[in-house]
Amino acid sequence: MSSILWPFPKSLGLWSSLKAGAATRVQRWARKRQGSDPATTRLIPRRVYILPTGVGIVFGIMTFAMLLGSMNYNNNLSFVLTFILIGIGFVSMHQCQRNLVGLELTFAGTEPVFAGQTMRYCIAVTNHSKSARRGIRLYREGLQSDIHDLQPGESKVFILPAPTEQRGWISLDRFGIRTLFPFELFRSWAWLHMNISGLVYPRPAERPPEPPPTIAAHGHRQHDARGEEDFAGLRKYQEGDSPRHVAWKAYARSGQLLSKQFAGADTSSQWFDYDDIPVGNVEQRLSILTRWIIDADRTLEDYGLRLPGVEFVPAHGETHRRACLEALAVFETAEE
Amino acid sequence: MATPRGTDGSLLTSLPWTLGALAISVAPHVPYLPIWISAAFFGCAAWRYITEKRRAALPSVWLRGLLALACFLGVLATYSTISGVGPGSALLAVMASLKLLETRKRRDQFVLLFISIFLVMSSLLREQYLWSLPYMIASTIVIMTAWLRMSASQSETARQSFLTGGRLLLYAAPLAVAMWIFFPRLAVPFWAVPMDSGTATSGISDSMSPGDISKLSMSNAVAFRVKFYDDIPAPRDRYWRGLVLTVFNGRTWSMNDPYEGPRIHEKVSGRGDPIEYQVTLEPTHQPWIFALDMPWSWSLEKTFMGPQQQLAHARPIDQRIAYKAVSYLDYTTDVGLTDYARSWYQRIPDGSNPRTQALAKQMRSAAGSDKAYIEAVLSKFNQEEYFYTLEPPPLGSNSVDRFLFDTRRGFCEHYASAFAVMMRAANVPARIVLGYQGGEINPIGGHMIVRQSDAHAWNEIWLEGHGWYRIDPTAAVAPERIDYGASDTAREGLGEAWGLSAPSQLLHKLSLALDAVNARWNEWILGYGPDTQNRFMQWLGMHEPDWQKMMLTMIGLILGLIALISMLLVWRYRPPAKDPAAVLYRRFTKKAGLEPGIGETAQRFARRATQAGALPAHVIQSVTAAYHDARYGAADEPALARLRQAVNAIG
Repeated sequence: MSSILWPFPKSLGLWSSLKAGAATRVQRWARKRQGSDPATTRLIPRRVYILPTGVGIVFGIMTFAMLLGSMNYNNNLSFVLTFILIGIGFVSMHQCQRNLVGLELTFAGTEPVFAGQTMRYCIAVTNHSKSARRGIRLYREGLQSDIHDLQPGESKVFILPAPTEQRGWISLDRFGIRTLFPFELFRSWAWLHMNISGLVYPRPAERPPEPPPTIAAHGHRQHDARGEEDFAGLRKYQEGDSPRHVAWKAYARSGQLLSKQFAGADTSSQWFDYDDIPVGNVEQRLSILTRWIIDADRTLEDYGLRLPGVEFVPAHGETHRRACLEALAVFETAEE
Repeated sequence: MATPRGTDGSLLTSLPWTLGALAISVAPHVPYLPIWISAAFFGCAAWRYITEKRRAALPSVWLRGLLALACFLGVLATYSTISGVGPGSALLAVMASLKLLETRKRRDQFVLLFISIFLVMSSLLREQYLWSLPYMIASTIVIMTAWLRMSASQSETARQSFLTGGRLLLYAAPLAVAMWIFFPRLAVPFWAVPMDSGTATSGISDSMSPGDISKLSMSNAVAFRVKFYDDIPAPRDRYWRGLVLTVFNGRTWSMNDPYEGPRIHEKVSGRGDPIEYQVTLEPTHQPWIFALDMPWSWSLEKTFMGPQQQLAHARPIDQRIAYKAVSYLDYTTDVGLTDYARSWYQRIPDGSNPRTQALAKQMRSAAGSDKAYIEAVLSKFNQEEYFYTLEPPPLGSNSVDRFLFDTRRGFCEHYASAFAVMMRAANVPARIVLGYQGGEINPIGGHMIVRQSDAHAWNEIWLEGHGWYRIDPTAAVAPERIDYGASDTAREGLGEAWGLSAPSQLLHKLSLALDAVNARWNEWILGYGPDTQNRFMQWLGMHEPDWQKMMLTMIGLILGLIALISMLLVWRYRPPAKDPAAVLYRRFTKKAGLEPGIGETAQRFARRATQAGALPAHVIQSVTAAYHDARYGAADEPALARLRQAVNAIG
């Protein structure tokens, strides 16, 4: 069947699109009803929803058939069995809801990633009660965390993955927590609308042009009396470096030629300038700059970044790297 | 479209429980299933477990399809139908075996557990014993545990799953009990219950050949239990009327075709006090209803009295039923007999049992009257060498001749048959009644047990001016059979023969105790039908119970119990109790009028409170010191007492 002739999205059919429409409406309603949540939210009963699962519906049909059979045969022991199963249905509904109520969810941060990598939102779930919670899982559209049990008093970090495409801040508007415990007859869940966002750096360029030349900065640092003996770090291999100084182990790991730098050697610095990049559109330029910064960060060289309107003087270290990459990530996205 | 067939051992935590659940639910069916199905099931279960252990591959879809077809045809060939409890459970067992062959994913096990629930249910439809309920509950716990194992995380132990399953079952129990008591029971089924063809009938059958009843008398099984509302009749009056045999073919007595035999109902009139009682009849898979001779009225619907006062239900008795009946021990039947009926009750095949016929004619003419003739025949049985035995020698085609003149050993059916033939040969209308004679009082339960070994055959002869008259020729030979009952007679003989009198007496008492429990069980649990439910509702104080009232009560109870369970769960998931020292300290900070900061230690708070002058410095110091000792010190109790004293002293 041709996809053009079929009027419904992705061969899902009328039923599925109706269902999806209803789900959107229900979620909008829940958002309105609950409001937005603080970074630490405890689940109260009124926001824990519950519905039977497919297995639950089959189970219901089965018990109904068993009830009819028991009535027809007027068989009192099969009445007992049927009523035990119905009772278990009722009990598991309440047990399922109670398995979520009272849990405390806290957004525990996330690490920035490069576009194309998977963002990992960390959400800590704490069980403040005297009984274990079983089979807890976090989810968002199409993606879910692993399933964990929470012992009494235990707190566990659930990782909610999110694929990334574009640089900039991305936010997790809504995620859910759900459980099927005990018998998978019911699914109870809660929606949370926390103010959660993560930063996506630009995608590093695969084949960047040569970075601008290094400018030696003599006397920038104290000369060490012990000469070459004191290992200080790694720098990108440059022609003329002694093969003795090549970090072969690092080469085996990363496939990149790096030279060992020793304290006492001269440090040098580079300027990465947005306007100096000869090719490409904005995104390509940002990709190239990202790649240069990553590479420069692996060496001991100081590097500076010049974007239209922003400038980071040459420096080194984690804070500097983050500041530069963040500037690249949000470049010209502020108005969006 | 090739589905992967390999296994990866991921089911090892749940598969043993699923297999256990299936095995425990198949087990009660094994005695009834064809051997190949049981073998296939247990074979598949063992094979599937080994496959998962070795991470081997499952069979291909073609092989599975072929096996499924073969098994389905096999069931069809064995039962020639697929409806009814027998073929149904066979099919379920086969389905479980086949499903095992393709169980790869966790969720496939759901299907297996659903099958095992249906297997448990069908085993209850098949038979209900005292142990059926505990067995069913045990099966349910295993199924629930297997269910939990399916979705359990790696860290959850089987013990935890088992305890969770047990706990949830415990929560569900009161709900189940409430529903069971109040769910309105129907008097009539919606649709005809499929009959199991090929189910062996038990108890008395509708014809009698020599050896039939003596075979039956080996069985100690309970035929029915009786509860008398007033006096219990004497042993000699305990004749339980069943069916009436009127046709003799020279060897076998059988019932007459209802359109052929005498069809005019004989009128019965009772004398004296009627006897009221309740019978709980075990399933016979036959329509006969037994009642004390002579039944007058009965509470069972769709039960009719035949022309010869035999009671029959419209459908075979496939389940234990209870009914009330009223009988007259002293009665007379209609004194008239049509010519057709008279000739019917005198008929014997020409030329059969010639010696008996000759003897009868000779004795009748010697006696002069019917009454004298009857007495002469009875005294012949009584005074000549006739023996009452459970193991009579085999008889040929002219069975009555052989018995009367040669073997002279027999059981009630031999005497009844011979007596009827003697009567008919002398033109006295005669017939045979099949039923039970006797019954043992269970001193523990207060009820009477009538066993298959009490099965009995006796005669009715028609006397001019009196009507049908019961004569039991066995009583002439072995009066103790009538006075003490067949089982007592047999057991005492056995006990003496083996020298086991005392232990067998003890054993007998134990079996009587068990029987008493069984009788209550049957009456109140298995026999909880519309009548019993109605009575129980009235006893509970419900005024004129009907199904609406019961339904409403049930729903109310369910809601109440669910609220209770919900509260129980809230309590289960309560936050841990606060440290008493922390509670006291909190009171102290409130009294001080200062809010401790997050992460502020008691020492720092004390300094701040002292600086602020919230409370006298020595008070702050003593409370802080006591709090420290109570919270972090080893000596818990005295420090806590000190803290409480210090905090209370603030006032």
